[in-house]
Amino acid sequence: MIARLAAVVVAAGVLAGPAAAACVQPRTSLAYLEGQIMCPTCHTTLDQSSSPAALRIEAQIQKRIAQCWTADQIRSELVANFGAGILAAPPRKGFDLLAWWLPLGGIILGAAVLAAGVWRWSRRSDEGAPPAAGELDAADEQRLDELLAHLD
Amino acid sequence: MRALKLSGQVVALAVVAGLLGLLVWRLTHRPSAPKIGGPAPSFSLRRVDAAGKLDLASLRGKPVVLNFWASWCVPCKGEATMLEQAWQQYRKRGVVFVGVDYNDVTSDARTFLAHHGVTYPSVQDGSGNVADRYGVSAVPETYFIDRRGRLVGSHIVGTVVHQAAAFRTGVEAALQP
Repeated sequence: MIARLAAVVVAAGVLAGPAAAACVQPRTSLAYLEGQIMCPTCHTTLDQSSSPAALRIEAQIQKRIAQCWTADQIRSELVANFGAGILAAPPRKGFDLLAWWLPLGGIILGAAVLAAGVWRWSRRSDEGAPPAAGELDAADEQRLDELLAHLD
Repeated sequence: MRALKLSGQVVALAVVAGLLGLLVWRLTHRPSAPKIGGPAPSFSLRRVDAAGKLDLASLRGKPVVLNFWASWCVPCKGEATMLEQAWQQYRKRGVVFVGVDYNDVTSDARTFLAHHGVTYPSVQDGSGNVADRYGVSAVPETYFIDRRGRLVGSHIVGTVVHQAAAFRTGVEAALQP
C-alpha cells in the first residue's frame, strides 16, 4: 500500500514538473518583441542593435518570457522602466491614435486632390483640343465644298 | 468653383505655415547643454536603491556630485568603487553624491549597486530625459553642483578613475561657499 502511494506521489511529481514550466497562454518570443522595442541609446529597434543597453533589454525580455509573461506585460514593464519612447510605434488608443490615422488621412486626401486635378486637367484638354487628324471643322468643310463646286 | 479653389489654396497655405511653425519651434526648443555657473537642471526621479523619489531641489544648500551611470556601461563598473570611496571621504564635509541610472533595467541597476557596494542614493532616469537636459553624451559623466544649485567646475566625461585630479577640483569647486 505504501509502495503504491509512493509510486503515485513520484508520478505526480514527474507530471507536475513540466506542467509548472509550461505557460497557461502561448509563450511570446524575443523575435516577436524585438522589432517593437527601441534601443534607448541608439534609437533603432532592438533587432537592429547590438549595443550594451539593447543586449541588456533583450536579456530582460528573455527572462520575462521564461517567466511566462505575456507580450503586453513585458511591453508595460518596459514602458514603466524607460517611458513610452521605448515603443517603436505609439499605442493604438487615445490621443496616440492620431499618429496612426493622420498619415492615412493625409494619403487619402492627397489621392483625392490628385484625382480631382487629373480629372479637371483631362476635361480641359478635351474642351480645348484641336480636331483630330482627318477631321475638318465646319468652316473648312464649307470652304472645301465651295472649292469642289468651283471645280465642277 | 472659384471660391472653392481659393479656400483650398488658403487651407494648403495654412498647413504649410503650420508645419514651418512646428519646425521652427522644434529647432528653437532643442535642449542645450547647461552652462557652467548656470542652474543645474532640476529633476525629481524614482530612487533605485530605496522607495520614493529624490528631488534635486531638496538638496539645495549642499554640494552635490551627480554621476550618470548604467549597469551595462563597462567604464561605470570601473569607477563605482572609487566613487563610493570618495563619497565616504567627502560626506563628512557635507557633500552629497547622487547616481543617475541612465536608460537601464531596474533589476540590473539594483544588482549593480549591490555588487559594487554603492551606498549613496541613486535615481532612475529610464527615459534619459534628465541626461538629455544635462547634455550627457555617453555614460559615465559626472557633474558638480554647488550649495546654490549652480553647476560648477568642469564636468567629467568618462570615468573619474583616470581624471582623479579633475574630480577633486570639481568637488572642491562645489564646496566653495
